[in-house]
Amino acid sequence: APPAGPSVFLLMVNGQVESAQFPEYDELYCKYCFVYGQDWAPTAGLEEGISQITCKSQDVRQALVWNFPIDVTFKSTNPYGWPQIVLSVYGPDVFGNDVVRGYGAVHVPFSPGRHKRTIPMFVPESTSKLQRLTSWFMGRRPEYTDPKVVAQGEGREGKPPGFRPCPPPILGFSSLLPSGLALVHFQINRRRRTFWHACP
Amino acid sequence: MNPKEEKVKIITEEFIENDEDTGVGRQKKTSKVARQKRKKRLPTAGPEEMVSESPHLGHQQEPVQEDSDTRSLSMTSRRGPRSLPPIPSASRTGFAEFSMRERMREKLQAARSKAESTLLQEIPTPRPRRLRSPREKELETEFGTEPGEEVQRTQQEDDSQSYSRVKFRDSVRKIKSKPPVPPGFPSAEEAYNFFTFNFDPEPEESEEKPKAKNRDGTNQEEEEGEEEEPPVQGEHKTVFNTTMDEEELLSAKDDEDFLLGLDHRAEDFVAVRPADYESVHVRLQMEKELLFIPSRLTVPTYKKLPENVQPRFLEDEGLYIGARPEVPRACQNIMENRLLTQEPGRKWFGDDGRILALPNPTKGFPSRPPILTREQDIKAELETLYKKAVKYVHRSQHMIGSGDPPGNFQLDIDISGLIFTHHPCFSREHVLAAKLAQLYDQYLARHQRNKAKFLTDKLQALRNAVQTGLNPAKPHKSLDTTQKAINEYKSEIRQTRKLRDAEQEKDRTLLKTIIKVWKEMKSLREFQRFTNTPLKLVLRKEKVDQKADEEAFEAEIQAEISELLEEHMEEYDQKMEGYRAAYQQWKAWKKAQRAKKKKKKQAVEEHPDGEVEEPYPGEEPVKPVPPEPTDRALVEQQVRERAARSRRRPGEPTLVPELSLAGSISPNEQCPRAEVLRREDVKRRSIYLKVIFNDKEVSRTESRPLGADFRVHFGQIFNLQIFNWPESLTLQVYETVGHSGTTLLAEVFLPVPETTVVTGRAPIEEVEFSSNQHVTLDHEGVGSGVPFSFEADGSNQLILMTSGKVSNSVSWAIGENGIPLIPPLSEQNIGFRSALKRADAISSIGTSGLMDLKKLAKWAAESKLDPNDPNNAPLMQLISVATSGESYVPEFFRLEQLQQEFNFVSDEELNRSKRFRLLCLRSQEVPEFRNYKQIPAYDREIMEKVFQDYEKRLRDRNVIETKDHIDTHRAIVAKYLQQVRESVINRFLIAKHHFLLSDLIVEEEVPNISILGLSLFKLAEQKRPLRPRRKGRKKVTAQTLSDGDIKVLVNVIRAYDIPVRKPTASKFQQPARSSRTFSEKRAASPTTHSPTHSADYPLGQVLVRPFVEVSFQRTICHTTTAEGPNPSWNEELELPFRAPNGDYSTASLQSVKDDVFINIFDEVLYDVLEDDRERGRGIHTRIERHWLGSVKIPFSTIYFQAKIDGTFKIDIPPVLLGYSKERSLILERGFDAARSLSAGSYITLFITIEPQLVPGESVREKFDSQEDEKLLQATEKFQTECALKFPHRQCLTTVTDISGKTVFVTRYLKPLSPPQELLDARPNDPQATAELVARYVSLIPFLPDTVSFAGICDLWSTSDQFLDLLAGDEEEHAVLLCNYFLSLGKKAWLMMGSAIPEGPTAYVLTREQSHYLIWNPCTGHFYGQFDTFCPLKSVGCLIGPDNIWFNTQRYDSPLRINFDVTKPKLWKSFFSRSLPYPGLSSVQPEELIYQCTDKAAAAELQDRIEKILKEKIMDWRPRHLTRWNRYCTSALRHFLPVLERSRGEDVEDDHRAELLKQLGDYRFSGFPLHMPYSELKPLIEAVYSTGVHNIDVPNVEFALAVYIHPYPKNVLSVWIYVASLIRNR
Repeated sequence: APPAGPSVFLLMVNGQVESAQFPEYDELYCKYCFVYGQDWAPTAGLEEGISQITCKSQDVRQALVWNFPIDVTFKSTNPYGWPQIVLSVYGPDVFGNDVVRGYGAVHVPFSPGRHKRTIPMFVPESTSKLQRLTSWFMGRRPEYTDPKVVAQGEGREGKPPGFRPCPPPILGFSSLLPSGLALVHFQINRRRRTFWHACP
Repeated sequence: MNPKEEKVKIITEEFIENDEDTGVGRQKKTSKVARQKRKKRLPTAGPEEMVSESPHLGHQQEPVQEDSDTRSLSMTSRRGPRSLPPIPSASRTGFAEFSMRERMREKLQAARSKAESTLLQEIPTPRPRRLRSPREKELETEFGTEPGEEVQRTQQEDDSQSYSRVKFRDSVRKIKSKPPVPPGFPSAEEAYNFFTFNFDPEPEESEEKPKAKNRDGTNQEEEEGEEEEPPVQGEHKTVFNTTMDEEELLSAKDDEDFLLGLDHRAEDFVAVRPADYESVHVRLQMEKELLFIPSRLTVPTYKKLPENVQPRFLEDEGLYIGARPEVPRACQNIMENRLLTQEPGRKWFGDDGRILALPNPTKGFPSRPPILTREQDIKAELETLYKKAVKYVHRSQHMIGSGDPPGNFQLDIDISGLIFTHHPCFSREHVLAAKLAQLYDQYLARHQRNKAKFLTDKLQALRNAVQTGLNPAKPHKSLDTTQKAINEYKSEIRQTRKLRDAEQEKDRTLLKTIIKVWKEMKSLREFQRFTNTPLKLVLRKEKVDQKADEEAFEAEIQAEISELLEEHMEEYDQKMEGYRAAYQQWKAWKKAQRAKKKKKKQAVEEHPDGEVEEPYPGEEPVKPVPPEPTDRALVEQQVRERAARSRRRPGEPTLVPELSLAGSISPNEQCPRAEVLRREDVKRRSIYLKVIFNDKEVSRTESRPLGADFRVHFGQIFNLQIFNWPESLTLQVYETVGHSGTTLLAEVFLPVPETTVVTGRAPIEEVEFSSNQHVTLDHEGVGSGVPFSFEADGSNQLILMTSGKVSNSVSWAIGENGIPLIPPLSEQNIGFRSALKRADAISSIGTSGLMDLKKLAKWAAESKLDPNDPNNAPLMQLISVATSGESYVPEFFRLEQLQQEFNFVSDEELNRSKRFRLLCLRSQEVPEFRNYKQIPAYDREIMEKVFQDYEKRLRDRNVIETKDHIDTHRAIVAKYLQQVRESVINRFLIAKHHFLLSDLIVEEEVPNISILGLSLFKLAEQKRPLRPRRKGRKKVTAQTLSDGDIKVLVNVIRAYDIPVRKPTASKFQQPARSSRTFSEKRAASPTTHSPTHSADYPLGQVLVRPFVEVSFQRTICHTTTAEGPNPSWNEELELPFRAPNGDYSTASLQSVKDDVFINIFDEVLYDVLEDDRERGRGIHTRIERHWLGSVKIPFSTIYFQAKIDGTFKIDIPPVLLGYSKERSLILERGFDAARSLSAGSYITLFITIEPQLVPGESVREKFDSQEDEKLLQATEKFQTECALKFPHRQCLTTVTDISGKTVFVTRYLKPLSPPQELLDARPNDPQATAELVARYVSLIPFLPDTVSFAGICDLWSTSDQFLDLLAGDEEEHAVLLCNYFLSLGKKAWLMMGSAIPEGPTAYVLTREQSHYLIWNPCTGHFYGQFDTFCPLKSVGCLIGPDNIWFNTQRYDSPLRINFDVTKPKLWKSFFSRSLPYPGLSSVQPEELIYQCTDKAAAAELQDRIEKILKEKIMDWRPRHLTRWNRYCTSALRHFLPVLERSRGEDVEDDHRAELLKQLGDYRFSGFPLHMPYSELKPLIEAVYSTGVHNIDVPNVEFALAVYIHPYPKNVLSVWIYVASLIRNR
């Protein structure tokens, strides 16, 4: 019998965005999404989610606990483009504006089993001091156009100074400021699914 | 009060007390207890004590209690009247006060009773706890709870009282909360009793009394120093008060204290009385009794010493006394006085009369706490470990053994000294001396090796061997081998002998040279009469035994001679052999010759006139000369001569030279001035060396003076701690002359030692160096690099360079534990090789580091290695393998030797893998696979057809295929375009992956004033304005989209001047001339119409029922039907958009070629009722729709414009049968006179995409240019200046040409003549010619650059390229048209501006005699400057062949601007006086060459198109039969050329008449379509969009005719006449 479809393998990702450590901020919520390659497709579960707002625990750990569940299943034909989870954490600033507090990404673990991943979080920094001031004041911090950028390498390399006739771009560089740590638990299941062609 | 101060006070007090205690020698414990008690009391306020005492003391305490209460609250420190216990006579007390007091008393009583009850309950037996309590309290106080707080807290005060503080506080609170109850006033007696009642003192109080008093005294002392702190004092006083009897309190001694700690509510109940005053004297008197004030005066020494004892100063006696701690004199005096008064024992004083003191313990310098090594009790895990800081290795490529921890490696460099073999300061003698020394060294070396001797011995051995070989003593050996061996020996003997002779000769010449130099030196010394060098050569003669020597010599010579003879004999034999052979040959030849001669002679005799000469004169062999036998005498003579030359003569003593430094140097006085100068110069010089490790200086030696013998001794060892593998080790020799600068003499490169060379085993080596510096000196020194001579006459010149030797040794150090500190071999270079060395030799064959094996084998064979030597074992193994030919020796160098090991499949197999190929192609972003998802995991799951398209494309790349294109020329062009496109795409693929910061990060701009102002203004804006404007929408980045997300919204608002139906009745009627033709276009010279409205229409009949149908990507939507020629729909149509291949990336969206067709139809209802009788019972109407016209808008325009809003001219076919343009009544009323000028129908549309897409950014790449740099800078400047003033106006100075270079735009404009054919058509009418030319240009198909080239790059092709490509966008059309106009002699400019619907575009402006015309190059239409329907809405700049003018006028609408470019106020010109036009050459060709289009090919194409269209129409009507009316078709076909000739004007009526004549019986609906020809697809789309095929009347017939008119250069004008015919019943 001809194959009913390409044979795929399944990657089941369970777990939770457990907690985070943001020493400077409180009342944060997080958003997660997955970035994966062309050969990957989600088959079940949620690819994206926004958690509740949490407050810091009162003990010394000062942890922001979300315990926000992740449950998604991917199918793929190719390990290339293995999914990455992208976390972006938001929270209010002094004026109550919702601003981003951290971005981070990590590959979904490769091997089946339980895994714990600590993701360093960072935010892009304003390009100039003046802009830092105004962004602080207006509550519009620099953000990524798409949080998925953090899972990609493209476009994040340093830029050479501009070409001859035009003056070098003033806004060329933006550094990243570390802001906190996020802890994610994963439980990975893998399964190979082969259709029909087992029989000759 | 200041709590801190109080605390300080407490502490000081404690100290004093301590002193006191020790001084008095009281028992420690008691004192401690006492102290504690006091301490406890200190913070508490007196009155509070009373509160606590209240259970015992009864009601008398109440006012005080109140006092405490308030005090505790206010903590007042104010001095003021205080309620004192009233004096028995209360007469002075006023009633008011009294009553007040009464009230207060009442209040307090109530509170007290309450507090009492609670306290009593809680503290049933306070006394037993008394002893324990102090400790507790002490703890509290000692922890430094703030006294103020404590006051508030009110703890227990008396030793006897101890109870819960908290409870008490509660009670206090309760008291406080109680409002004062005003009862009846107490009697004066009561009041008096209240204040003055004398209680029995408590037993322990009396016990403590003296002590308290005592303390009081000390406190008083303090008071003096701290008078400025009355509150504190008050506090203290109150403390004491509490311990005293009431009587004592009143005893006036301390009464003032009562004034302290005042209460702000005191006046409420206090009776005011004058204060008791005691005179100062009395007070002082009293104080004197109590207080002791130590004097500050110096105590006389005698007081301090026992009587009659003289002070004794130990210092004076010579004993050591440490420095006393520094104490101010005054303090010392006070202390001494105090000690003297207190304790007369004088034990405090030393022999010298001063207070005993230990030496000052303070150290003058800080020191760390000593590390306690003996501490055993520290837990092991708490112990601090010291770890050495790890150095960061930054040069990773040199990191040693990446995995290993970088160790501590050390290289020891021992620089012992330096000897110059030549130095500029050398005198001539030195030169000779150096030479001599060198020669002598050489001699010593040779002597040590003694090669001559070795060779002689070898020769001897060989001779012996030959001798034995010749002897048949060993019969077992076969003769052959012996002979062979002997021969070998013999040849070896010969070689050895030669070598020995050479060696001996060398020895001898060396000796001779030494002697010669020594002689030269001696003569020089004599000549200059002084000696510079201590060198002295002694030749020692060694006597030899004359006879034995001679014998040996003779024997040697004889042996040699015999050997030589033998050799010669052999040679002779060989020669003889050769001679004989040659001779035989010669003889044979001679014989033959003779025979020939004989024959000849006979022949000559027969033929006397025959040739006489030899037939082969040149080939006569020379008669061989027999070799001469060797003459023994000759050989002997040769041998002897040689021996005499190279060997010591027999009997001559052996000369052994010995060089010593025993000579004496002449002192300076004996030397001439030049020599003295030289010596001084030498003295001024000093030398040092720098050690350079890996190109970095790591250390340098000390600078040492240069000795007179030109030797420098350093004797320094440098230990280099390294962590990088040593790559180079260099010593730099520097010379310093006097105090002037240093010069680098030379660099000495030291070899990096082998890993086996460790310190201690390394020999001192001498490394030579030399310098190429040129030095000329003005004294005896010979200089360096300059010629000098030993001879007087200056001949025989010598040039010597500074050179010398550094004696050094480099070795690896040995660590503490004997391990050499050698880094593991660097992996990059040596590591691999060394690893191979250890491994099996064969396995590493062919890898790097091993030399050519064949050569190695050859060398091994030649050098006759001892195969049994274990040292040679691996080599021999290798050689045996190599020579046996078993192993394959590659002749190439392999870069990655191990690549093969890691290949899991072979390359072929990998390339065969479909999956791998698919992955590769996808990652290369090949368009077919760019968005391929889920590449299967197995090869077998990949269908072969996946690659088919791609492979086909690859195959067809070079094959020009005519199937799709019909026309071969177009096919070539398409191919070319495709190739250009691919190359451009490849260029931009890179640019596409470049991101700017703004692409990734959203960051607010720093707001400026205008934005702030705007946002402020917005606040005041109306919430619901009367004229709402469309708000900007959020832009969506394209990548997140999928199918169905994007919709094209078309808002059809209204239309103007739609053609109206003509009554069918007028079938044979001559058309009324009154109706306008559609094709009226002449705007510049508007014809005046005299619209006499014909009354043909029955009143009330609808003229036209138009509706709009929008089709896009074959999705069709239509509006409702409106009525009349000026309908208003106001409807929004929504059409889904699908991107090709589901690729919603920007690049893909840009290249969408689809058009949005907006077609206007007339809905016609036909009554199809057959039977009139049925009328009324049912409606049987057939709806027909008649196409009236269309507007076509490319999707790319919508995409880039984001929205299209405006009124568009409807493209109405030139002939629209059955319809005419009706002049409406409204128009006649002159409603819109301006509009009537430009004929045509218009439709108002608003088109946009939902959601709004972000159009692609233009490519940020800067292209290289061949323009002048200055010009480029000027363009930059010009553009920024323009953009500053009018940011929205288009300003164009440079453009990109098709090869991707930046070109100045005026280079594109140059007069180019249009095809002659067009010029000849209307030679007398320039306007008509211009129109013709414009039409020609518009016939070249339009293709936006964005469609042809992914990514926005506006590529400008030159006119010839444009004509070759036959495709281009507005700029190309405009440039060509402008060039044509220029050649026609018109004033023409390229006009950059924006139009609808194109957006930013290029038009052409021409100046006629009196007015300006604006030409749309893509349609060929032209408009007057004041035409309101001109699609051009704004003008940015004008470009002429030699200048650019930027519009600086206030308005940019062509209606409102002045086109006079000579006015600099209105037009800012690029080239001006400051920057004159440099005369730029044009990029256009000299002239355009037009080939005539092949008419036959056009005709063929015409037939093919017709056929294809017919097929298509049949395809579109799958459910109906499609009949073709051939008669009609031929009629139409005849008509089309007429249309072409007249360009669609003024033919309608004739045409109609003709058609009607021919097709009288048919109801006809149809129209000609006119298009430029580019491809087939647009034609098909256009026909489809008319919807002619949609008629499904059963008896419908169709007619379709195609006409192609060829213009030069393959420009084709296509006419398609499509019609439907229905036979009238």
